[in-house]
Amino acid sequence: MEKELRERARELLESGEVGVVIGYGWNRRKRRTTPVFIRKPEEAERLVFNPLCVNNLSVYLTRKYPDIQKLGRAAIVAKGCDIKNIVVLMAEGQLKRDDVYIIGVRCNGVVYRQELWQGELRPEIMPVKCHNCDVREPHVADTVVGEPVLFTPPEEPVGMVFDKIREIDAMSPEERWQFWMDHFSRCIKCYACRQVCSLCYCERCITEKNMPQWIETSAHPRGNLAWNLIRAMHLAGRCTFCGECERACPVNIPLNIINQKLVLVVKDAFEHRSGYDPDTHPPLIVYDTEDKEDFIK
Amino acid sequence: MEDKKTEEGWEPKIMAFVCNWCTYAGADLAGTSRMHYSPNVRIVKLPCTGRIDPLFVIKAFENGADGVLVSGCHPGDCHYTSGNYHARRRWIVFKSLMDFVGIHPGRLHFSWVSASEAIKWVDLIDRITEEIKKLGPFMEYRGLKK
Amino acid sequence: MEKSLLKKEALQKLIDGVREKGGRFVAPSILARQVVYREVDCADQMVHDYIVPRNSIKEFLFPQTEPILRFRLMREGVEVEDVRVEPERTVFFGVRPCDAASCGAVRKVFTWDYIDQFYTRREDSSVMMTIACTSSDDECFCTTVGVSPEGKEGADLLLKETVDGDYLVEAVTDRGRAFVEEFKDVFTEPDGAELKAVATPEPIEGVNIDNIIGFLKDRSHYNSEIWAELARKCVGCGACTFTCPTCRCFDMVDEGTYIEGERRKNWDSCQFDSFTLHASGHNPRDTQFKRWRNRFMCKFNFYPVKFSARGCVGCGRCIRVCPVRLDITEVMIEVSEAARDV
Repeated sequence: MEKELRERARELLESGEVGVVIGYGWNRRKRRTTPVFIRKPEEAERLVFNPLCVNNLSVYLTRKYPDIQKLGRAAIVAKGCDIKNIVVLMAEGQLKRDDVYIIGVRCNGVVYRQELWQGELRPEIMPVKCHNCDVREPHVADTVVGEPVLFTPPEEPVGMVFDKIREIDAMSPEERWQFWMDHFSRCIKCYACRQVCSLCYCERCITEKNMPQWIETSAHPRGNLAWNLIRAMHLAGRCTFCGECERACPVNIPLNIINQKLVLVVKDAFEHRSGYDPDTHPPLIVYDTEDKEDFIK
Repeated sequence: MEDKKTEEGWEPKIMAFVCNWCTYAGADLAGTSRMHYSPNVRIVKLPCTGRIDPLFVIKAFENGADGVLVSGCHPGDCHYTSGNYHARRRWIVFKSLMDFVGIHPGRLHFSWVSASEAIKWVDLIDRITEEIKKLGPFMEYRGLKK
Repeated sequence: MEKSLLKKEALQKLIDGVREKGGRFVAPSILARQVVYREVDCADQMVHDYIVPRNSIKEFLFPQTEPILRFRLMREGVEVEDVRVEPERTVFFGVRPCDAASCGAVRKVFTWDYIDQFYTRREDSSVMMTIACTSSDDECFCTTVGVSPEGKEGADLLLKETVDGDYLVEAVTDRGRAFVEEFKDVFTEPDGAELKAVATPEPIEGVNIDNIIGFLKDRSHYNSEIWAELARKCVGCGACTFTCPTCRCFDMVDEGTYIEGERRKNWDSCQFDSFTLHASGHNPRDTQFKRWRNRFMCKFNFYPVKFSARGCVGCGRCIRVCPVRLDITEVMIEVSEAARDV
């Protein structure tokens, strides 16, 4: 697969079709992968793909990176789950289909965190998204590399995140509150969750609006709660559950649980799944006159 | 906001975010008609429910509200045609989110009240006030370290 | 008694002793599936098998959020109340030598042109019980920046693990000696216990700190192409700076209502795009690689040159937490190489 990937990247750079290939390469010790920006055909040899390639590189396609956009049209090495984010970017008018060349990679799953890797991909070290993945065969791509993958996701989603959601749903409001306050109180407001998210592309985040200061910048439970609620709310109907925010969180806040909860809410209420169709509007910018309103008095 | 004690005991503070065209006019009608309802509600008028950011609700709780009401025009009646439809979608998600983090559903209410529904408004405020009185002061949120 | 023995069974007695006198005992412990320094009240909460905790000890000396004054609008005008810190004694147990070395570096900036008592009072009332490292990982690079895994820099007491899991304690400072004296019923005579081997990470090949400093001092390299090449992948989260033991930038905010509130000192990060944003809208570090360049420059040029202090202690946290694996040691190699080529 890597041979095919490098071959394709070289061709794209040689022909001048793209100015940069955004992909994965080894770090110095060859034990971890890291994003690489390949600009010369001969550097295409640096590209790799393996279960350590956890990053969602689509973040580099957003307007947060004007210096990357200056490198020319980009080709991106993307797993199915990463492509979902590219699709949302397209649906939200951030990208045109022609702006990016998608090298889809067939994927057998990645690790939840690179530190867990011991030379073998076992189900226990894979994130929940991989166990339920229906895009191991990339669904939107200009070219697809790798061996076809035989995998059918379970009919009902499985994994710890879903178990935990059920568990929280069964709790009393007081218990839920306690659960989340325990987690949110650890937040250090480093905003790593926002920065790694390719869908948090606002030039000025609500946390930076300080006239008035909407979200308190101090890392205290009250400000942390406001931040985490609003982050989740702003991603509702858009989040593809790629899991980057939770992976990046230095204090291990289980953001996947809150994100997936809203994914489920949106799916139930609006029959929308984000990241599959670039021509469908995100559910929170449209409406249906028949939307449910049993909770409105 | 300071807590107010009456002879009956503690009185809840309720924030109401309402639209200019329907609910505010409905509340106004209740007033001009000299109808009596719980004085616990503080009304903030906005052009449309579509303008009501979920952050307003969070800010209300942060500043000591014990309950929040969001109210606007009935579906089909929006002065701007579709503002309340957009708002409704947002509320569906926001309400689920607030439930999920443990904000008691009795503390966050949504309603449609038209300009002529003064009776509905009076009834609604009385009911919500009773409900929040039973829940007591929102100490969980107020007690958050800040 | 220059050397003594701290039995692992005696740890609880030490914790109780410190707490009874109104102090807090901070030690490596598990929180949310990772090892962090935090306050413990029971020896069972502590972990002994760890490399470097995820957070650094700076949050106990330089809290992430702290009030520096309180204000209240009165009829007569604004009433301002100073906040004075009267910190309890904090005993840091199991601090790694890299973290202990960072305290001296951070102190420099807080005692430079003004004595910041919020920091100095806390540090002065702490006791640093450093434990020499007996394990290291790929990310540790203390030896590359001149810190030793059994170094005494910043330590009041240097502890070395014995094969039985006890600690051989060496008093480094007067404060350390006084601490051992104060709790002399906890410490016992050293009986020639066998020590565990110290784990010393190999200095990273190809790094030459002098060359790096030379390269950075030469202003013609400020706009070198290499910065964009090396740091393009940075996503601008503040995780590296917030977990770094020597990063100490902060921001001031007023929080509260229009009537009363607090002025707070909060951690800030040079990786945030609003860090250098001017009121005019101009931002001298307008792209992410420039912000990352600043961090590197700060660690190896600005800070060491201005304050003669360490900018980096080689703990490796920034590498471990980086979501895109931007490895400072790889940049050090590249810059050393670039310096050689000049």
